[in-house]
Amino acid sequence: MATVVVGAGLSGLAAALRLAEAGERVTLLTKGIGGLPLSAGTVDVLGYAGDERVTRPYEALVTLAAAAPDHPYALLGRDAVEAAVAWLQAQVPELLAGQPGVNVTLPTAVGALRPTCLYPPSMAAGADLAGKAVAIVGPRQLKDFYPALCAANLARTPGGPAAAVGHSLDLPARPGEADASGLAYARSLDDPECRARFVAAVAAVVGDAEVVGLPAVLGYKDLNAWRAIQEGLGKPVFEITLIPPSVPGLRLNDALTALAKAAGVRIVLGSKVTGYTAEGGKVTSVTLHQAGHNQPWPADHVVYAPGGFESGALRVDSYGHVKETLFDLPVAAMGSGTVATERVLRATATGPDTMAPEGSAATGPDTTPAPAQPLLTGDFWQDQALFKLGVRVDAALRPIDESGRPVFTNLYATGSLLAGAIRWSEKSGEGIALGSAWAAAEVILGR
Amino acid sequence: MRQLSADVVVIGGGTTGVGVVRDVAMRGYKAILLDRADLAQGTSGRFHGLLHSGGRYVVTDPLSGTECAEENAILGHIQAGAIERTGGLFFTLPGDPDPDWGDKFLAGAATAKVPVEEIEPSRALKLEPRMNPTAERVFRVEDGSVDGWQLAWSAAASAKQYGAQILTYTKATEITTAGGRVTGVRATDAKTGEDVTIDCGFVLNCAGPWAGGVAAMAGCEPVAVVPGRGIMIAADRFTNVVLNLCVKPADGDIIVPCHGVSIIGTTDVKADDPDHLPIPADEVQKMLDAGEKLAPGFRQQRLLHVWTGARPLIKDDRVAASDTRHMSRGMAVVDHSTRDGLKGLLTIGGGKLTTYRLMAEHIVDAMEDQTGDHHPCRTAEEPCPGHEPGRYFALNHRLKEREADRLSDQIICECELMSRTMFTDLLKEQPNATLDDLRRQLRLGMGPCQGGFCSSRAAGLAFEEGAIDIERATGLLRLFLTNRWYGLWPVLNGQQVAQAALDDWILQGLLDIGHLPAQTKEVI
Repeated sequence: MATVVVGAGLSGLAAALRLAEAGERVTLLTKGIGGLPLSAGTVDVLGYAGDERVTRPYEALVTLAAAAPDHPYALLGRDAVEAAVAWLQAQVPELLAGQPGVNVTLPTAVGALRPTCLYPPSMAAGADLAGKAVAIVGPRQLKDFYPALCAANLARTPGGPAAAVGHSLDLPARPGEADASGLAYARSLDDPECRARFVAAVAAVVGDAEVVGLPAVLGYKDLNAWRAIQEGLGKPVFEITLIPPSVPGLRLNDALTALAKAAGVRIVLGSKVTGYTAEGGKVTSVTLHQAGHNQPWPADHVVYAPGGFESGALRVDSYGHVKETLFDLPVAAMGSGTVATERVLRATATGPDTMAPEGSAATGPDTTPAPAQPLLTGDFWQDQALFKLGVRVDAALRPIDESGRPVFTNLYATGSLLAGAIRWSEKSGEGIALGSAWAAAEVILGR
Repeated sequence: MRQLSADVVVIGGGTTGVGVVRDVAMRGYKAILLDRADLAQGTSGRFHGLLHSGGRYVVTDPLSGTECAEENAILGHIQAGAIERTGGLFFTLPGDPDPDWGDKFLAGAATAKVPVEEIEPSRALKLEPRMNPTAERVFRVEDGSVDGWQLAWSAAASAKQYGAQILTYTKATEITTAGGRVTGVRATDAKTGEDVTIDCGFVLNCAGPWAGGVAAMAGCEPVAVVPGRGIMIAADRFTNVVLNLCVKPADGDIIVPCHGVSIIGTTDVKADDPDHLPIPADEVQKMLDAGEKLAPGFRQQRLLHVWTGARPLIKDDRVAASDTRHMSRGMAVVDHSTRDGLKGLLTIGGGKLTTYRLMAEHIVDAMEDQTGDHHPCRTAEEPCPGHEPGRYFALNHRLKEREADRLSDQIICECELMSRTMFTDLLKEQPNATLDDLRRQLRLGMGPCQGGFCSSRAAGLAFEEGAIDIERATGLLRLFLTNRWYGLWPVLNGQQVAQAALDDWILQGLLDIGHLPAQTKEVI
């Protein structure tokens, strides 16, 4: 039996690794590196239920599933998610610490406290800052991290540190360069000599602080670089994830890719899957656009983990209709009858920024009626219903049509493609990615 | 309480008001300009970026056409750095409503003295490959694109050199009078709450669509200004020449390449309240259809932003109030001494951004007609600070600058190539600025990422380098993202949806900005 996995984010990598471990022949096709370098390097299962911060994600997941039958967790259930998260932690213990089923909060680069479940050991000291004196330190040449901003917000956060002070260092990653990426710093800190200079510069400013927060650039390939820095400073340090590319996400990406290869997964990177063939309700092959021609890849099973809107797997056309781009799987339609109001001059503006739909006449070639609720609103701080759209699946993760029947009997959708959740808002991205990959693998393995 | 005095107070910091304060100051008067918000935050920053050749008006309003052609050349002399000399094309299409419009266009251009050259469509397609290839007749004109914010700020810099004071975020609340004469202006500093009182003999009302309310502050009958609302949509830049349909002026008849975007405009609908302008979904669709006509494939372009502005049309009884496009675009100066018996107050309305300098000259001339003290207008002769005649903006200028300072400076906004020093220098000049105030001059967050990567950097820098507290720094970030989204969501489709999702991943997923400590007071 041969399985083709499309997509190299956490869901695709996890599905491929899990299947290969169980003896399946697996090929992973991907147009590029997946979404992990955009992630915090943590495993979020469920961070918020509405406005409430979640402390016990598995229990909260069960409550959420009961209240929201369209949520992916309602389909996956606690057991699959729990099994998948535990399995991943066992695969990469050097990169994932934490107690499954219990959330911690970790400082973000702007100084918010963000809930997550598993996290790199290099971030562990950031989970326990209450009442402590904290120093937040970073090089001025790293434009993605502003220690003063991070510290000042942490210091005024309920449940945060007793005191937090930010320090900017004059410490280029490479001599004479004012603008170095986080990755350039991470690579330089793989080198013990650079590390020693870094430690000396940080030690000179931290004073009496009990804990030191640093940008998540403490080594890239050397997973113990942060420990060496901690020893050098003589006090606990923690990493803080920066905006992409995220070094902790890259470390996880590299580790999982290496494990998948070691388990026998064949990875074809740099070519896009552009089509498929099907027969009798089964996908028989996917078409890889490679080196200027179309190459069919036969498959007994296809795990489809291409991401959602962020990767372009889900697209909205200029008439407002939402499409899944490879298999044209059914996705709920988006209406176009909404009215925006721009506040021309904020200083004097009043009134609502969210307007109700104004009629629902479709203007494009497609005449699908618009939904009753607008999918986008003018309030940036509200969840946008558009991003809950996606592919709906049956209990075996197979995409279904409007009548609830599987579109293909051997196609399984996982990860961000699944409808029903706004992952960045509720902090559930990795939980859904892993749970769905796990469940799809179970089906393929006949369990 | 701040007590100031001046000969002239100009109310309204759009291009007209700034042009007026410059002219007044250059003629030797002590002048103060007030705006309730930032310079060019209203209509002057909310247009399609066109520097008119005059071609648009040669048939319907030849005098406007002539004025545009003349002012176009003058701005190239005094504010060249705000202008990109793109050139423009007017083209007819099969099935146009008036098959003779091309001939009328040529004849009108000759009368109005607007330079026009008819060229072969094949040659036009070489100049601008995205022009509709079915074009039948094509006319080449001197259209360009212009940055309204840079016009306003460089004219303000010139005015300051002549002693004028520019007070942004200072809202006029009352025009005081005594014995049928203006005696002063009361205002409030919107950022600090401080009251400002200015003794003056003249008030020049340049508040554009808000001019009616300003006249009423002096107890005059409100000037009837009909705001004509238009929407503009910016696509990631895909054209390099201005494209115009050669028809009677209509909705969606132009695409202007300006900075990193190509802007389609516009609609014209009577608006009630210039502070709250809707962007109806059907108008967005109408613009996209119009885009397909001007440049087939427009619907596949990456749309970055939409905005809406209100034209400041003085009501003219000769046409119906609902048909704002065909009201006179010519400038109108209202003299309140004859209209309301109040000396020392003049209101100006109408006009176009391209002719802002000429409008200023007219109202200052009208003021001197009242004072009887005539000084020559010199605004057309002297270039504004930082501008050299004929040294026009080019899209690659910033790239050249960043290549030069790439080792010594940081690029904070990659899309618009804004450096750290550009940001911190302007912040020093305007320590109370919001990120949007800085954006209008620096283009922070105006490119494809729409703030996803640069907004948190800007907030961090403002906190480190500026004299603001953490509540304000965090509030600036929130406000910037709130405002970016207003212009994003009504046109969110295609590739920009992936960007919006990525931005949400970063801002909410990684940074969790939604759970930063709550704001206790409004950020202005």
